[in-house]
Amino acid sequence: MAYLDVVRARKEFAGFTALQDVSLNVERGEFFTLLGPSGCGKTTLLRALAGFNDLTSGEIRLDGEDLRRIPPHKRDIGMVFQDYAVFPHLSVFDNVAFGLKPRKVAPAEIRARVGEALEKVRLGHLAERLPAAMSGGQQQRIGIARAIVIRPRLLLMDEPLSNLDAKLRVELREEIRALQKQIDIAAIYVTHDQEEALAISDRICVMNAGRIEQIGTPQEIYGDPQTRFVAEFVGTLNRLEPSPALESDLSHLGLKAPRATLWAVRPERLRLLPPQEAEEASEKEAVVLGRVEQFTYLGREAHVRLATDLGPLVAQIADPGLIAAFAPGEAARAAIPRDALMAFDAAGARVKLEG
Amino acid sequence: MRWNFWTLVAAFTWGLLLLLLFLPVGSVLLGGFYDAQGDATFANYQRLLTEPRFQRAFLNTLVVGFGGMFGALLLGSIMAFCLSRFEIRGSRFVSLMAILALVSPPFIGAYSWIVLFGANGLVRRGLRDVGVSIPPIYGLAGILMVFAFKFYPYVYLMVSGALGNVNRSLEEAAESLGLTPWQRVRKISFPLVFPALSAGGLLALIHAIADFGTPQLLGRGYNVLATEAYTLYSAEVGSNMSMATAISVALILLSMIFVLLQRYLSRRNVYHGNLINKPVKIRLSGWRNALAHAAVYLIGFCGALPVIISAIYSFRKTRGPVFQPGFGLQSYERILYNLGDVVRNSLVFSVSAVALIVAAGTLIGVLVARRTNLNTSLLDGAFMIPYVMPGIVIGIAYVSVFNGPPLALTGTALIIVLSIFIRRLPYAVRTTSTALRQISPSLEEAAISLGYSPFRSFLKVTVPLILPGVIAGAMLSFVTAINELSSSLVLYVGRTITMPVRIYQLILDGDFGTAAALSSLLLVISGIAVYAAFRFMGRDERSLL
Ligand SMILES: Nc1ncnc2c1ncn2[C@@H]1O[C@H](COP(=O)(O)OP(=O)(O)OP(=O)(O)O)[C@@H](O)[C@H]1O
Ligand SMILES: [Mg+2]
Repeated sequence: MAYLDVVRARKEFAGFTALQDVSLNVERGEFFTLLGPSGCGKTTLLRALAGFNDLTSGEIRLDGEDLRRIPPHKRDIGMVFQDYAVFPHLSVFDNVAFGLKPRKVAPAEIRARVGEALEKVRLGHLAERLPAAMSGGQQQRIGIARAIVIRPRLLLMDEPLSNLDAKLRVELREEIRALQKQIDIAAIYVTHDQEEALAISDRICVMNAGRIEQIGTPQEIYGDPQTRFVAEFVGTLNRLEPSPALESDLSHLGLKAPRATLWAVRPERLRLLPPQEAEEASEKEAVVLGRVEQFTYLGREAHVRLATDLGPLVAQIADPGLIAAFAPGEAARAAIPRDALMAFDAAGARVKLEG
Repeated sequence: MRWNFWTLVAAFTWGLLLLLLFLPVGSVLLGGFYDAQGDATFANYQRLLTEPRFQRAFLNTLVVGFGGMFGALLLGSIMAFCLSRFEIRGSRFVSLMAILALVSPPFIGAYSWIVLFGANGLVRRGLRDVGVSIPPIYGLAGILMVFAFKFYPYVYLMVSGALGNVNRSLEEAAESLGLTPWQRVRKISFPLVFPALSAGGLLALIHAIADFGTPQLLGRGYNVLATEAYTLYSAEVGSNMSMATAISVALILLSMIFVLLQRYLSRRNVYHGNLINKPVKIRLSGWRNALAHAAVYLIGFCGALPVIISAIYSFRKTRGPVFQPGFGLQSYERILYNLGDVVRNSLVFSVSAVALIVAAGTLIGVLVARRTNLNTSLLDGAFMIPYVMPGIVIGIAYVSVFNGPPLALTGTALIIVLSIFIRRLPYAVRTTSTALRQISPSLEEAAISLGYSPFRSFLKVTVPLILPGVIAGAMLSFVTAINELSSSLVLYVGRTITMPVRIYQLILDGDFGTAAALSSLLLVISGIAVYAAFRFMGRDERSLL
């Protein structure tokens, strides 16, 4: 049995099912992320763990204990909120010390532990200030310190960075990751930002419409998506609709998947070939011809949209530098590596390729 | 639904509403259908519709209601427009005068105007000496004038808030699109302030319909529904309770109709401006500047005039009820020696009512704001009812229901406290629920996750955050409570007489000096409470509405 077990969790609101048979487990010290689009039930699951709303049915076990029978304030679960939820009437110190009072910690120890927690989030020098005038990043650091100082059995974070600006988000997510490893705590982190999820998680659980699509390491989620939804939500996809051109390319590569209704390839796996050189296509690659429709320069990468026999394809060029430039209308060729192709069936599940 | 603390609060609230609101109001509704012998009849409503005296009262009520409203709209809009768009010297002083008009004790307005423009009024006499003769202020014209100057602050406070929130970019955009200033006002500014304008007008209208003191003192035969209800109720001989209740029903219906009408009119007009570009005040010059200043100061001065007059008259030398030349403290001495218990009554009743209001209002406010479901939105609606109930109707309703066992409350202090309580409770509920809606629920959840039980989280986190608002609300409730006249007038007996009731009697008895002194005292007490409220939440005049 894992440290945290959620078994067939189900949550119904009036006439609406927000969670359907969600089962997952989290190990001690693991950083586990719930990733999914808005409304997919991430917050609902997290709040069920915290105890703010109970499940309709299902089981939650933490360290072998049935969590659903314990009222929320006795669960010993730390929570970090999207809107920080810092108490505006208390100083930074008192905010962090707040959770130690009902635990009957001696005053001297409170001072020591709060000081230590504030140092960890680099707020030691602001202890006596009121939080109201502080920046979002600082307020969220208070929220984190307040949640970890009680040494909870589980740390829950619901989109803690989504109200911060992009740069701070990257900075703070690394701090959170480092802190979690340092205090060695099981953490469940909610986000709808795929990059964030890939960057900080040990494992990611991708959710959609109240169901789990896939659970796996960031590499598995990105590199080996098990459903069309995961493939599209994490990263981007070129969709290849069935066509005679596609058939001929597939047979060239010797690939078959009878149940497949959709083929796909990620933009960064497409290789743009120089149009002039008649490089011989190997049987590990299919070459498609087309024309440049649009060139978008993004600094560290560039996107080239091509019109091809297979339909519109976007190819991503890493490190385009100063020279790469494609004029609309220019002829272009792109190579699709054999192992870059993914196939999905009508229900959106990944189909194993034959051949 | 699980039975927990909040279910109990909901049950308690419904019980409270049932006992203190639905039961009395229901009995008023039904009471109109019985005659003096207790037989069911339509006669009362028939009389109401056919008898010329009541027809006239009905019509007169509409006339003073709308007249008062238009007067208030006119004065209030001028004031709001000038103060929010032009630089006016001493604008804080002007809005202080508006607050004075708002919290000035009832009746004093009417009385002060009589002092100046009555049959023997100062101004009238002065004018007569120089050969100008103007009619005395009695009758419709007087009532309308008093209403306009008493109720304009409602419009002013509402509209100036809205005008201050009109994003200037909107007007600039209109200007760049080539609209003339007049078109700009008509097409942009007016629709934006319409909700505030109509809400302010509605407040003036409802208060004008419910006001009974002003027509009573100034009317001289100009009867309105409120005065008719009171006359029928209080007649020494032939008191006609069922007819009084029939009139009360008409009053309730009128107020209701106007509330619904206003809601309907401003239903689409909820604009949430983003205030990146705040309106600036223009510095006028020349005759325009003089005109704006004159208008603002004249309105402010006339509105505050009752307060000024009563303050001056309270210090005039008197012998018995008669003024003598010179100044003295006899009026205050009389309060000290004879009216101590009246002052004490007022203070005790108001403080108890406010204590109840704060306790119940906070709990119910939490219920309405935090436990949102059908049940609580119904509650929200039910709290609209006391809002449109004229005080005189509540008084009559309470007398008719709590007159005998099982709840014989007539003549007790409790009945007065309860009548104030139920009328002011909706405001407290609204204050608390608005304050709570601005506090993120995650604050309490944070406390729970840190190990505090839900109740302790509420005490430790939410209560400290809403406390300033609650205290400020309590102070403002206190102001209305201690100035409450019309329901107490129906409910008082000798032992439970309050300051406003006593002022009313003193004016009727012709003891103007003591009335002025008592009014001034009332005003000082109200002023302290308003000051305290502003200390707690910053100076926000609109919280007075
Ligand atoms: N109290 C409630 N009553 C009814 N429906 C609810 C309630 N709370 C959530 N829902 C619904 O359940 C679904 C899941 O909501 P949830 O808040 O868990 O989504 P989420 O994944 O956290 O989304 P977001 O990324 O926007 O925060 C939504 O469709 C939401 O409308
Ligand atoms: Mg959410």
